[in-house]
Amino acid sequence: MIIVAHWIPVLGACVLAVAPQVEKRQAPDFNLDVRPILADRCFACHGPDGGSRAADLRLDTRDGALADLGGYAAVAPGDLDASELWARVTSEFDFEQMPPPDSHKASLSPAELDVLKRWIEEGAPWSRHWAFEPPSKSGSSIDELLGRRLAEIDLGFSAPAPAHTLARRLSFDLTGLPPSQDVIAHLGDSPTDDQWSAYVDRLLASPQYGERMAMWWLDGARYADTDGFQQDELRTNWPWRDWVVDAFNSGMPFDEFTVAQIAGDLLPDATEKQILATCFQRNHMHNGEGGRDPEESRVDYVRDRTNTMGTVWLGLTLECAQCHDHKFDPVSQRDYYSLSAFFDSIDESGRAGGGAGPFLKVTSEQAQPHVALAESELAAADVKLQEVESARRLDFRTWLAEQVKAKGAGYSAWSPVFPDRAYGAEGSELALLESHDGFVECTSGGQPQEDYLLEVNVPEPRQITGLRVEVLKHDGPGAGFSFAEDGEFIMSGVKLRVRKPGDHALKDAEFSAIVASVEGQGVDEQNGPASGILGDDPRRGWTTLGKDVAESPTAVLELREALLLAGGETLVIELQHRSTVPFSHPRAVRVSLTGERGKAVRAVGTTPLERLAQLRGGASEWKEGLREDLTALSMEEDIDWRQASAERTQFARQLESAKRASGELAVTVLKERGERRVTSVLERGVWDQKGETVERALLAALGSDAPAPPDEAELSRLELARWLVSPQQPLTARVIVNQVWQQFFGRGLVTTPGDFGLQGARPRYPEVLDWLAVDFVEHDWNLRHLVRTIVTSRVYAQSSRADRALVERDPKNELLARGARFRLPSWMIRDAALHSGGLLVQTIGGPPMFPHQPPGVWEDVFNGRFRYEPTLGQSRLRRTLYAFWRRNAAPTYLFDSADRRTCSVDLKNTNTPLQALTLLNDATYVEAAEALARRATGKYLAAPGRIQYLARIVLSRSLSTSELATCERLHREALAEFEGDSLRADALIACTLLNLDEAITHE
Amino acid sequence: MNSESLSRRAFLGRSSMALGAMALDVLHGRQAGAAPQDRATLPHFAPKAKRVIFLTQSGGPSQLELFDPKPGLVDLAGSALPESVRGGQRVTGMTAGKPQLVLPAASKFRPRGECGMELSDWIPHLAGIADDLCLVRSMTTDEINHAPAMTKFLTGNQLPGRPSLGSWISYGLGSENRDLPDYVALLSKMKRGSDQPLYDHYWGSGFLPSVHQGVKLRAAAEPVLYLQNPKGMTRLLRRKQLDGLAELNRQRQAETNDPETLTRIEQYEMAFRMQASVPDLTDTADEPESTYELYGPDSRRPGTYASNCVLARRMIERGVRFVQLFHPDWDHHSRLTSWCTQRCRDTDQPSAALIKDLKARGLLEDTLVVWGGEFGRSVAGQGNWQSPEVGRDHHPRCFSVLLAGAGIRPGTVFGATDDFSFNVTENPVHVRDLHATILHLLGIEHERFTYRSQGLDMRLTGVEEARVVHEILS
Repeated sequence: MIIVAHWIPVLGACVLAVAPQVEKRQAPDFNLDVRPILADRCFACHGPDGGSRAADLRLDTRDGALADLGGYAAVAPGDLDASELWARVTSEFDFEQMPPPDSHKASLSPAELDVLKRWIEEGAPWSRHWAFEPPSKSGSSIDELLGRRLAEIDLGFSAPAPAHTLARRLSFDLTGLPPSQDVIAHLGDSPTDDQWSAYVDRLLASPQYGERMAMWWLDGARYADTDGFQQDELRTNWPWRDWVVDAFNSGMPFDEFTVAQIAGDLLPDATEKQILATCFQRNHMHNGEGGRDPEESRVDYVRDRTNTMGTVWLGLTLECAQCHDHKFDPVSQRDYYSLSAFFDSIDESGRAGGGAGPFLKVTSEQAQPHVALAESELAAADVKLQEVESARRLDFRTWLAEQVKAKGAGYSAWSPVFPDRAYGAEGSELALLESHDGFVECTSGGQPQEDYLLEVNVPEPRQITGLRVEVLKHDGPGAGFSFAEDGEFIMSGVKLRVRKPGDHALKDAEFSAIVASVEGQGVDEQNGPASGILGDDPRRGWTTLGKDVAESPTAVLELREALLLAGGETLVIELQHRSTVPFSHPRAVRVSLTGERGKAVRAVGTTPLERLAQLRGGASEWKEGLREDLTALSMEEDIDWRQASAERTQFARQLESAKRASGELAVTVLKERGERRVTSVLERGVWDQKGETVERALLAALGSDAPAPPDEAELSRLELARWLVSPQQPLTARVIVNQVWQQFFGRGLVTTPGDFGLQGARPRYPEVLDWLAVDFVEHDWNLRHLVRTIVTSRVYAQSSRADRALVERDPKNELLARGARFRLPSWMIRDAALHSGGLLVQTIGGPPMFPHQPPGVWEDVFNGRFRYEPTLGQSRLRRTLYAFWRRNAAPTYLFDSADRRTCSVDLKNTNTPLQALTLLNDATYVEAAEALARRATGKYLAAPGRIQYLARIVLSRSLSTSELATCERLHREALAEFEGDSLRADALIACTLLNLDEAITHE
Repeated sequence: MNSESLSRRAFLGRSSMALGAMALDVLHGRQAGAAPQDRATLPHFAPKAKRVIFLTQSGGPSQLELFDPKPGLVDLAGSALPESVRGGQRVTGMTAGKPQLVLPAASKFRPRGECGMELSDWIPHLAGIADDLCLVRSMTTDEINHAPAMTKFLTGNQLPGRPSLGSWISYGLGSENRDLPDYVALLSKMKRGSDQPLYDHYWGSGFLPSVHQGVKLRAAAEPVLYLQNPKGMTRLLRRKQLDGLAELNRQRQAETNDPETLTRIEQYEMAFRMQASVPDLTDTADEPESTYELYGPDSRRPGTYASNCVLARRMIERGVRFVQLFHPDWDHHSRLTSWCTQRCRDTDQPSAALIKDLKARGLLEDTLVVWGGEFGRSVAGQGNWQSPEVGRDHHPRCFSVLLAGAGIRPGTVFGATDDFSFNVTENPVHVRDLHATILHLLGIEHERFTYRSQGLDMRLTGVEEARVVHEILS
């Protein structure tokens, strides 16, 4: 806790010497210069939060600052000596110094002291925080305003960017894609204003404009395809994503866009689309964690909606007022819960997954083309599989003859393991049972839990496809199989591990399936099915309890992939018995291995090849399906068939999924419940600590001259929505203009886009922001107009090159005396690479797809509960907008993206080695580079021609002589490495170009 | 990533000092509000610990079975938990409304080592090094569900979005090596289709620049995503390609004067070095047989907790600042004798081996080892308390953690709970106190270690009072 020194008058305070002001300066501006100092150093204890206010002094209002504190005041306008504030901030004694040393807030700098001094001396003028005053528009254009400001600091606009650079910049900013070569050629070196204008119009009219803008909007909307949290169940809210794309493309005014998303369900005669729009406020996460109180979750959702609205529209950190009054902004805790009350009466329970209603049942028009595509892709996969199968059928007789020759009459598919070493992990002794072929007996009595380890060296090359376990029925003293009282065994796990010669490490061979001759039901009901053996869960095991078992119970486990041993490896087989039932490990077991595929490892009993071997002369058994079994086996043995079959399975799955997507979908939307909930202030923000009740109310500090509700009724969400976009409300237009600006400049005019409050960054050019905000509203919230205004300005068109002096003077380009240069968002880099390779599939809308991702990522996060299956075929090459987004395992190929868990409007732009690895090695980028290289094949015979061709696609320009020389050298080196394979060398150049700083940068 | 200090050196080496500050800023992520604050003053005082290994046991290990002996419970088995003890404590929806009946520990305790610390027979290996351990029995937290509790345990706040402890430390202290990240997360690989996901915000950087986020090493052919070159790309050719790439980037940079481009060149170089340094780290072929004997049979299998313990030691040897292991599935709501024992089997020997190994190599002196999960478990049985199927529900009011190594007083038991291991009766240590103590060991005063976000000076320990637990420090 910060202990604040009592606010008592200090006589004869020592005043720190302040550096003499050499130059005559303007009077300090309260908003720009003074308030930030007070807010940063004083408001935490002397601000709007009544709960933590010290010494009953508040400095966030003029009344408070000037208040009589008993013969003195913190601020005495015009009288520095009588101002206690001044005495305190300049005191050198710890006990009275402000901010107090133990607050760990920095003391005021000489420059800051100077500001305060002059402000008090000039009568302590006060004004409202800039962002809470209505914006006003002066001047004819942002260029005029900015030009004037630059001139004041002896700067001017930089020259316009070269035509190809500007064309590229516009194309990325407005569509998220690079321009085509035709466009660059058409524009030439010096396009006319009309040509530029037509180009901008064409980009704005393209459907890719809506997709690009949607990418902006989806981050703030924390849009994803799963619930998040522990269960992370799927949701099908993507029709809302398509609604967003369509809203941008159809030119829906932003006020209408806002009202639809906040309260579309309450519009008179609301259409399905208007209700669909409200999904915006249901895109938050849903918590399905076992044991969680749904009401706690529901309270979280209400606050998420409130906070998201605060960030996206108001640029306020409302969440800071959840637990106490806001420390800096005029939002009390009571205000917060009054606002949240608008979202508190949704007809929801706080549950997740299927219980997360209210839902809107919709069918999507955009889904149908995906069904047609999936059908044609499945048909093609079928044809491919049939071709492979036909080929195999032709070879069947030969194959069969080989089998007959290889497998003699005594052929046995399974060979028992005679371990070189067998022992119990807990110390049991194991020994081969002489009377039984390969059975290993536990000779040392029972243990509460025990694992059997069998180690066997495999000297010869061998293929292993499965493992068989047999448990010997014990007929000595004590009935049954094990050392347990009832004689039952419970096997909780089976592992097969391989050690290479000379290696310490063991590698697990993964089992994909298990089947048993008999399965019972344990006293603990979780024991029974043999499938319990497959997971790492000792609470589930295989038992035969309750079944009358005559022969040795047998389980057959199939390996996910056949194990090919070169010879010399050691196999370590581990049979685990870790259940809660003590002494339930078998007295004797036998483990066998096989190399036969197919039915042999999917069923207990005689295998097809064994039946073939037993046939020998009598052909009668052919009728009993042996031919079919053998045909199937001959297929399985063929790697082409296995691949074609796996692909077919995946395409069939994709068709199923496309069909589901074209049927009725449940989208979470807003819907009021019959009776309104009573909303309370939640003490300390704790969900079940209800304080005083509150009524719905708009934020008083921003002016509540909102549209009045009809007939004295209580305010509804609809009034809230309309208030958000009412021209009197000072924030929304500014906040949205700033977010749009940020898309095109890499940083906002306000660099804290989610915080326009007192602790947010002050804009250097508030008049530019205000001009655009007012203009935006004057043009009926027309986003295309706003975008066009920005991108046709002189400030936008400037070259991003800068001389060193300017870079050193203004490293972050805060002054805007040059064009913006920043790394493109990672989704744009992916889309651009696919586009450059000619691979991008530009279908608009529809269900999400799964681009390539390294295997195992989802499995790692969820212990194998979810498995990522990359999309096969065309759809995986769609724009990143359509990529599936699992909240707990975001796409690996993206970086610096919003996390899509809670609302975020900040742009991240970091630079890490992991990004370099992604762009160099991710399969999508490798594929794009190869496809790009193929585009050049045949176009130019000589390498330099092809290199230049690739450069024009990737960079929209030709390489300079020296750049070309570098590429040619690299090309030669690659050719040598690839033994003259020019396509591979071209692909290396393509990869290099796609990784250039310039290629991934907004220039 | 640890690019920071490396690049700081590399960059300053080749550019003017005037550009230095700017380049640093670029490296720090160039985010709004990300101006580096008083990091120049870090550490605030001479640290005892230079590095941390955090052995995160996810799910809530039972203090009653492992660390906090309550022999008196045997006589109370099956009796109702007195309301005076329970004191209105929430339970989860899984046991709400059900009788809270006392379940004695399923394990046996006895004094260990010279210090006489009482530990359970389910963790014989850790018990064997009791004289090296400090056991805090009075840990307490505020959250009863996994995700919020683990988020608080690792980031100081129950809501996702704050930097994890490791990210704070990476941000504050930077790196000691030039080829590996500052902060590495290692997850045990397990085939279990349920329970708590290990969310990546557990090692996320929150509002700190993302260079400080933990890099997850996977137990796969690619320990770091996208680490492997595509088929057919040799290291030599990649080298040539990166030379060409750097040359082209430098030519462009001469025109744009954008220092970001130089940083990018450096990051591609770091990526190239990582392609060698990470496999060198994860390929344990050079470890002698004795390593595997020490860490136990699981250590032979990549991806296991035991194998990750070996990697943790290798990382500490290579100067990684913060290594965090995650072992899931300590959530034994049922079947303590198979479920909880299983997790002990996974972790006991390797955890103890790691501490022994560090000690033998002289690394324990300046490496802090922390072992613990997000909360404890309740004295009341979940399910039929007489059946072997019984388990325990979550319990936030008390739990235990183990500490060892740099600056920790060994052979110490700190804090105590009531007769039911339900309430802390002596020396409570809140999660934020643990954080303050860890920072203290690293030479960081937690109240002065802040980062500006949303207009606030955020700190790991939050706004409520946190204290350094000096009593457990040597």
